[in-house]
This record gives sequence, structure tokens and C-alpha cells, in this order.
Amino acid sequence: MEAKIINKQEIASLLDRLIRGYEVFAPVNKGDRICFERINSGSEAFLDYQNSRIPPKGLLLPQWEVLFSYHTTPGAVEMEEPPPPERQRLVFGIRPCDARSFTLLDKVFNGECPDPYYVSRRQGTVVVSLGCPKPRATCFCTSVNGGPFSTGGSDLLLVDIGDEYVIQVISDEGARLLEGSGLEDTDENKLALAAGAVRVAEASLEAGVATEGLKEKLDHNFNDPIWQQLTEKCLGCGVCTYLCPTCHCFDIVDEGAGSDGDRIRLWDSCQFPLFTLQASGVNPRPTVRERYRQRIMHKFSHFIDNYGEFGCVGCGRCVTECPVNLDIRQVLFAISQLEGVR
Amino acid sequence: MAETENWEPKIVAFLCNWCSYAGADLAGTSRIQYPPNIRVIRVPCSGRINPFFIIASLQHGVDGVVVCGCHPGECHYLTGNYSARRKFALLKDLLEYAGLEEGRVQFSWVSASEGARFARVISEVTKKVAALGPLEKLSKTPH
Amino acid sequence: MPELTSKIREIARNLLEEGRVEMVIGFERGTMPLRRTPCFVRQKGEVGRLIWDSFCENNLAKYLVGRAEPLAIVAKGCDARSIVELIKENQLRREQVIIIGVPCQGMVDWRGVEAGFEGGEVREAEEKDGKLILKGADFEKTLDRDDFLYPSCQTCTHRNPVIYDLLAGELVSEREADPYQDVAEFESRSGEERWGCFTLEFSKCIRCYACRNACPLCYCQECFVDSTHPQWVGKTTNDSDTMAFHLTRAFHLAGRCVDCGACERACPVGVDIRKLNRKLVKDVKERFGYEAGLSLEQVAPLATFKPDDPEEFMVNP
Repeated sequence: MEAKIINKQEIASLLDRLIRGYEVFAPVNKGDRICFERINSGSEAFLDYQNSRIPPKGLLLPQWEVLFSYHTTPGAVEMEEPPPPERQRLVFGIRPCDARSFTLLDKVFNGECPDPYYVSRRQGTVVVSLGCPKPRATCFCTSVNGGPFSTGGSDLLLVDIGDEYVIQVISDEGARLLEGSGLEDTDENKLALAAGAVRVAEASLEAGVATEGLKEKLDHNFNDPIWQQLTEKCLGCGVCTYLCPTCHCFDIVDEGAGSDGDRIRLWDSCQFPLFTLQASGVNPRPTVRERYRQRIMHKFSHFIDNYGEFGCVGCGRCVTECPVNLDIRQVLFAISQLEGVR
Repeated sequence: MAETENWEPKIVAFLCNWCSYAGADLAGTSRIQYPPNIRVIRVPCSGRINPFFIIASLQHGVDGVVVCGCHPGECHYLTGNYSARRKFALLKDLLEYAGLEEGRVQFSWVSASEGARFARVISEVTKKVAALGPLEKLSKTPH
Repeated sequence: MPELTSKIREIARNLLEEGRVEMVIGFERGTMPLRRTPCFVRQKGEVGRLIWDSFCENNLAKYLVGRAEPLAIVAKGCDARSIVELIKENQLRREQVIIIGVPCQGMVDWRGVEAGFEGGEVREAEEKDGKLILKGADFEKTLDRDDFLYPSCQTCTHRNPVIYDLLAGELVSEREADPYQDVAEFESRSGEERWGCFTLEFSKCIRCYACRNACPLCYCQECFVDSTHPQWVGKTTNDSDTMAFHLTRAFHLAGRCVDCGACERACPVGVDIRKLNRKLVKDVKERFGYEAGLSLEQVAPLATFKPDDPEEFMVNP
């Protein structure tokens, strides 16, 4: 694999160069948390971080977007769609788990039924990931087929080896990004350092989460009373789903008055009480027990049925940000202790 | 959609059916002139007003809100206006604390026989709102 | 606070043994060094799970609405005040719940603590005699717990539970100072400045409703913000709708909010939600002489009135 080397001090100027050709999104320090935002100069990027509070999925599936605007006149309706993104977008410095989440969202939004709004954003997006030399205690990417330096979804991957990053070129798009940058090829020593960093990081995640045979157990124990016990403290808010890089449920509403309005798509959450409320008044998921169970089933069973992979990248945001510390890892462990199908 | 040259304030007036709406009627039949900027919404009682009506009105393009009810002791439903007074006091304080300009959201007592008073209330409120200019804060369609 | 922990376990064991309750709601260790989590103990053999320390931050009164069984709840100062309001609103019968009151010395803001370890991660934490001893992979640090209390705890004037059946520890002294200085200071700024401050603060909001869901007094079967017929508030994060949501929710809590801070703690993006609530808490006290959560007898301010309520704000030409 082709690999270049860059001194950490040079990252800002590399970004400045890239900003000329791309809309660049990078982690920005907001004081009390890190967010992915558009930057206008390389010096705004803040790479000394664990992970962003809000995942970068909003770059592909915004919290809310206008699908079209409408204006009605007697006998006619005029509709106006928002323009597609002008320039290619570059997401710089996201973690490998978040980069992988893009590939999972692709399965939903760019598979059998391509979503034109998602696709127009995705097609123009280049991803430069920043590998994780020190995963958090709450990370479990290796348990869901990811890893602190996994390359899925990335065009380039930065490996921290101290004062420098080894830049692994993953795709042609990534190679193209570095054309004309004047960056040198890396050498054997540095590649060895990078490999060492990867080994150390992966080793720290060995404990992991029990995902082996999990789907089977989930399918078999849908009605097990353990779900009541596991979910009793759940508040039913939307923090886990909104902060999850792979959660993608949405609602579509019309907002307008009289003859003018917008049709808007916005994030929704299966944890909200109205999510499955039917017009008849029946709600097949009336309590947090059913709704939380659904989230686990979706990510660790249904997503596998539909797309062949876990619908979770192990980023740990739902673990750290749940207001009541309802820990998905504990839930998965409890299920894994149940009997499977004989 | 700002007609900045000829901008006139748009004010929603929530009037209770038994007193203030009748008072407004009386102002009309008595040919008392008052600014034409109010859009009246008749409610059974000032106590029926959900504070969110006021917030929603501000969101959707009005520049000011005035709520009128029966004088204390005269409420057709006996105590609705007392509830309204408490709710409104808190709402007005909250909105102004958040930074909404003082004068955009007002409350007054107007009885069925007070056509002239109604006209005075509306004049005062309209003048105040006009001086504040079009509402930008909280509006979904800022000018 | 090992003495409080053992006392709570002892009380819980006795209550379950005597069959006086079917369940004890309290806290147990969480899955991260600085976190504790609500726990529901139904067997006397499980009372060892219950603990008490400066990280027991959730308002457990949240879990009382809609319960039919007799139960006990570990309640610190603010939790107890929420329980008073819930009883007054008929969401809970007094005889249904045995309140294990815990005099509270304030809860520690775990995010505030972690923020001090840029890049590093706290792997072990121990609380001892008012100190927090924190260890990471390559550091160890001792902090004063009092330096990291939540804002709501810093201004709390009712640390002792106002209502309880059994007390799990010694009563603590109550703060005398005026708790509303922050509101008064903010009131002294210009309207433009205040609006700017609020829009900036609430621009962080992602409309996850953790604040609403963490609040024990937000128990409506259908919240106004979830309603689609009619759709009261837009569901996007545009400034107007987000402000409308928070203003309305704050208003819905007028005279009911006990300023426990659960909303702020639940917020994943650190919005200062209490900024609005505290204005109403102060207003309700000054206008109507009422403080939520202190008395089972005093009627909530918006459920009553006085013929001579202040009306200085009214237009009176």
C-alpha cells in the first residue's frame, strides 16, 4: 500500500491547500466538546481529540434538510429543489469508526433504492480518517468488525507515530487528493512504527463485547423477561440514536402556511413514543422496553438480515452520553448469556 | 416579504368573547377610530389562552400580541381571567427575559361597555409595536 | 460516602424483608469510573448493589409515575422536592412510596472532571473524605469534589429532603445565600445581549429531548412537541422552533420545576437549560410567594389565584 509521511506541523498548510478545491469539514474545538464543522483555514482543525460529540453522519444525512419548496397558485403547484452541493467535500480527521459508518449508511441510502439527496452529498465526499492510537475504554469497534485503524470508508488514513503521521493511501480518490502536495513517501522504519501503533491500539480493545453468536440469541429471546429488567431505567429520549453514527431513521414533514411551504426531512428516533404510533391509536411499541429492544434488534439482527453486517461501529457514544448510563455493552452481554437455539 | 417602506405592524388580538370582544364591537358600532393593525381571534375566555398561542403567533409572522379579558371579578366563567393574569405575567416576564422586546406582548382588561377603552388599548399597543419595528426574534420568517 | 451506602442498604434490606415494599429504587455503580446508574432492587439479597456517593446525579423521582406497586425510593434533596410536586399533581399517592431521604452534599459534574484531563481518560476513580482520586493510564490526580459540583448543586438551598419516611444520614446545613443572583445579573443586561446569549446557547440543541425525558415533572402522555395534529412546534433545529420548544417547556414547568438540574445533566451537548427555568422559579417566588416542592399543602401557583394578584405589567390607558 502506498504511504506518505507528513509532519504534524504541516497539516494546517495541507488543509489550506485542500480548502481551495474542497469544502473541508474537520473537528473543531468548541470549548466543551468537539464538532465537525466546515473550516475556512487549516489552523481551525483540532486533531488532538478522542471523538466528536455529534457524529459526522450529519454531513451525509443532515439533521434537517429541505427536500423541496412549494408554492401553490390556483390550479398549479410550483416546486423548487435545493441546489446540489457546489464543490466536492472533504471530511478530514474523522475516526475509522465514523468512516465505517458511512459505508453502512451507504447500504441503506445508496443500495437498492438510492436516495438522491444522500447520493449527491456522498458522491462528492472524500474521507481522510485519523486512526486511534489510544482507544477509549468505551470503544468496541473491534467487536463489530471494525478497528482503531480500519480502512473501511476511508480514502486516506493517518497513523500517528509521534511528531508525524504516516498517510496510508486507501483509494484512488485518496491518491488524487495528495497529488501535487509534495509529500514524500514514507520509509520502512516509519511503517514499522505505524504497524506497532496499530498493534498496541488493537490489543487495548481485546476485551471487547460479546458479539459472537449474538444474532441467534437475539432472535431466539425476543420475548425474554430480561428485556424488562435491562430497559427499566431507560428514559426514552433520543440521545443514543441522535449521537449514533449509523442510526438513520427520519421523518418527513411539511412546514408551511397557506400557499407556501417546504417539505422537510429530519432526524427521527425509534426511541420516541410516537415513532410507531398508528392512526388507529395502536402502538406496537408502547413502552421503552419494546423501543429499546427494537434498537438492539435492528443493529445486531435485522441489519445483518438486510445488509450482512452489524449496524453498529462500536464508537461508544451511546455509552458515554446516555443520561442514565444504560450501557449497550451490558445489554449485549446479558443477551449473550441467554440460551440460543439448540 | 418585507414591505419595508410601508411596513405596518401586524398584531394578533386574543379577545375574550364576553367582555373584550363585545367591547371591540362597541368601539366599532360607536365609530371610534383605532389603528387597523389588529387581527382578532375570539376565545371564550382569556383563561383559555394557551401560552403557546402567543409564542406560535410570534413565530408565524406577527409583530405583537395583545390579550384582553374581563376585569377581575367580572369573568363570565368566574375565575378564568385570574388564571390568565397569573399565566400571562409569567409568560411576559419569561419572553422579555429571553430578550424579546418589551411591548410586543401585552395584556389588558376591557369590559363589554368599554368601547373607548378598547380603542385606547389598541392604540397604545400598536404605537409601541410600530416603534419597535418588525419582529425578527423568534420569527420563522424574519424580514 | 460509605456510611450512607451501608445505611441505605440496611434500610432497603429491612423494607424488602418485612414485605413493606416490592422494590427499592436507588443507584448502583455504572460502567464507567465516574458514573452511577439507577437501579431497581426487588430481592433483599441484591441490596448490595445499592451505593451512594457524589455521582448519584439522576433524579430518581422520574421513575415513580405510573407505578402501582408499593415501593421505596432513595431520594436526595431535589428528588424529594420533585416527589412532593408529583404527589400534589396526583401522579403518586403518598402512602404508596416509602422515601429513604438522603441529605445531599451536591453531585459532581463528571464531564467537568473529565474535561480537565485533555486527551487522557480517567480509568479509576475513588471518592474519599471530600477528595476525588483519579487515575488514568499515565497520570494520577486528586481533586476537591467541591470544586466540581453541578451548577444546580452550587445554588441549592434544600439539600436535606423536605419529605422522608426514613433518613439515611445526618442532616446537613442549608445554604443561606440568595440563590438567584445569576438571574438578577442576567436581567441587568440589555435585551439584545440576552437574546444573543440565548440563541447562541440553544443553537447547540439537537432536539433529542433528553432534558424533557430526564425531568420528573415532564410526564405528559403526549408532549406538545410530539403532537402532529395540530403540529404546535416545528421539529427541525431551526432557531425559532428550538427557542419555542424550550420557552414553552420552561413555561409548562412554571411553579413545578424544583431546579434539580436533571435536564442540564442529561443534555449531551451542554445547553444551559436551567437559564430559562430559573427565571420562572424566581418569578414564581417573587410574584406568588411559592417555591415548588416544599409543601404538600401549598397549592401550585398556576392552580390558584388571588383577587389582588400583581398586575403592574398590564396596559392600562
